[in-house]
Amino acid sequence: MGTLNTAMWIASQALDVDQGAMDVTSNNIANASTPGYSREVVDLTEQTPIESGNLTVGTGVSLEQIQSVRSQVLSLLISQQTTQQNGSQTQLNGLQQVEGLFSDPTSGIGANLSAFFNSISQLSTDPSNGAQRQSVMTAAQNLVTSFNQAAQSLGTIQSGLNQSVSSTVNQINSLTQQIAQINGQVGQMEQLGKDPGSLLDQENQLINQLSQLTNVNEIQTENGLTLTTGNGTALVVGNQSFALQVGNGPTGMQDVFSQGQDITSTIQGGSLGGAIQVRDQDIPGILTQLNTLASQFATSFNNAQAQGYDLNGNVGQALFSFNASGAAASLSLATTDPDAIAASSDGTSGSNGNIANLMAVETSPLPSGVSPTDAYANIVAQSGNLASQAQAEVTASTSSLNQLNDQLGEISGVSINEETTNLLNYQTAFSAAARVVTTVDQLTQDVLNMGSGVTAS
Amino acid sequence: MRVNPNFSDDILSDLYQAQSQEETALQQLASGKLINLPSDNPAGAAELVQNQALQDQTDQYEQNTSVVEGQLQTADSALSSVVDSLNQAISLGTQGANGTNSQADLDAIAQQVQGIQNQVVQLANTSYQGNFIFSGTATSTQPYTLDSSAPDGVTYNGNTDTNTVEVADGNSVQTNLPGSQVFQGTGGDVFGALQQLITALQSGNTATIGAATTAVSTSLNYLSQQRVFYGNGVDQLNSNQTFLQSEQVNLQSEENTVDGANLAQASTNLSNAQTTQSAALAALAKVIPQNLLQYLS
Repeated sequence: MGTLNTAMWIASQALDVDQGAMDVTSNNIANASTPGYSREVVDLTEQTPIESGNLTVGTGVSLEQIQSVRSQVLSLLISQQTTQQNGSQTQLNGLQQVEGLFSDPTSGIGANLSAFFNSISQLSTDPSNGAQRQSVMTAAQNLVTSFNQAAQSLGTIQSGLNQSVSSTVNQINSLTQQIAQINGQVGQMEQLGKDPGSLLDQENQLINQLSQLTNVNEIQTENGLTLTTGNGTALVVGNQSFALQVGNGPTGMQDVFSQGQDITSTIQGGSLGGAIQVRDQDIPGILTQLNTLASQFATSFNNAQAQGYDLNGNVGQALFSFNASGAAASLSLATTDPDAIAASSDGTSGSNGNIANLMAVETSPLPSGVSPTDAYANIVAQSGNLASQAQAEVTASTSSLNQLNDQLGEISGVSINEETTNLLNYQTAFSAAARVVTTVDQLTQDVLNMGSGVTAS
Repeated sequence: MRVNPNFSDDILSDLYQAQSQEETALQQLASGKLINLPSDNPAGAAELVQNQALQDQTDQYEQNTSVVEGQLQTADSALSSVVDSLNQAISLGTQGANGTNSQADLDAIAQQVQGIQNQVVQLANTSYQGNFIFSGTATSTQPYTLDSSAPDGVTYNGNTDTNTVEVADGNSVQTNLPGSQVFQGTGGDVFGALQQLITALQSGNTATIGAATTAVSTSLNYLSQQRVFYGNGVDQLNSNQTFLQSEQVNLQSEENTVDGANLAQASTNLSNAQTTQSAALAALAKVIPQNLLQYLS
């Protein structure tokens, strides 16, 4: 048989449980806008009933545990997508600077190429004219300058990205250190059988930040979380973190080392991978095309010069000079003497017979297979293609990331409506339990006063 | 079923998208161009580089055409004056050959023909923009000097080379004929005939004067044939100028096809983006404060 004491005990237990549940609700509401917070739910269960004669009597409610609602699969996908999105975004930022160098068809190398050849065409109408010869030299100097500037600007963008590599590596090292620390605490709590909910939220948030910087592999082991680079070298194992280092690579750029191993080429995605992609692949690709154009154009034109005679009747000398390594950056005029232009085919100053050869350089294919203007047009198209690809990747990965975040929100997000409803339920239950306590108290007094005329107070 | 309670991220991302569409449309309206960066249309940007080069080249061809045309016209008008002078010499020769002149008269006529010879030498030394136009490619050398010891009475100091100038793709025009060809060709020798006439007049032989006059006439015919070269050249350049102008129009319309923003379309896009944006903002403003708490008191 039940006793009044049992009823009192059940009711006071219920008060505790409802209060605990309200604490959880309150915490959820407080963190409704906290990034990375996973809502918590209370796990309420019936207490084990007691057998009394042929009756089974319930003994109330207990708060079994407080559980964070999370999805590891989604968190993992979000990390990966974050890496991809940040990689594309960083790549896009770099490539937009690159394409900016080639954006105006009325200036730059393309326009200066045609201005140069047009000045030669002009010279054909009056090959001994000093002013027209001077304007050819001016156009040649402008062309050289535009090659130099393009190469220099590409180099500036490249070294900007290079600097970002070392600062990003520093951020990565600071994050892995924090993650290792939390990872150790999580391990301790789990050993004690506690839910490390808020610590896991913090850890996820840090991993998310790390994913923005570089690609990491997450492996859940018995000893907690292990993080490795894309290459498989360890970043975090248990409560220990392993720092990445930067050092000079073979190209003179800052390479990334993990425990002595150069992992630069295996870093993909994240702002680190994006910067490395533009620095080591995209810009060198365009620079190579630019160098090829500069060296082949200069060589072809110098050859055409050699077929004619300058104003003074001497065999035409080279007009352009360059270093084989970095032709675009080192392109320069071999002479500033306007007489040096080899317009003549017969040695007289009035002949323009070699101008046809000089002009042929504009339209004839270079050894690369296309004319100088077309080669430049290809570089423009290349810079545009790279940027528009990166743009498309940013758009795709952003929408995919939004979708994943939506899905995670469906599971882990705090709904104010839901929490308010819960709050009302717990409030009602709390009031009801309190009323039970009052009622039982009343009954107890009634019992105590049974049989006496005096009312106990 | 649970839904993601944090929908503001979605709406924000829609807002960003509308904003970026708005920016694109604005940029198109402001610049009038579809391609403001190569990534807007990489193939189109490459086409624009080529198109720009062709437009610049066409401009240059137009300039070349008018410079060469000026040179050909100068040569043509010099030769036209030579024709006048030779006609004058022929009348003088005919007058000298009619048998009614005293030797003194003939000497006076010979003097006049000598004057004509001087004139023709001067005309043959015509220059255009500081270059002699009848000295082959030796444009800095005066082509003819008087030389009484030479059989033709003159010496040619130029060469026999010619220049050509490109005035359109694959279309080059020859800009000069060497003086030795124009004035002293195998079909007629202007200076030789004039010298012959002077000598004949001085000799007083009517028959020789007649023969020399015929020689001047032959050389005039020959010179007129040579002159056709310049006339044809000018005609060719005129039609080339027309061709280049229509070429330029074609290139500009091609550029416009690739790069010209459709302004009506761009303004429609702009107002669409603005509508989307204000709709999203209105939705955001309505939805965010909406929750159960509002209905509890």
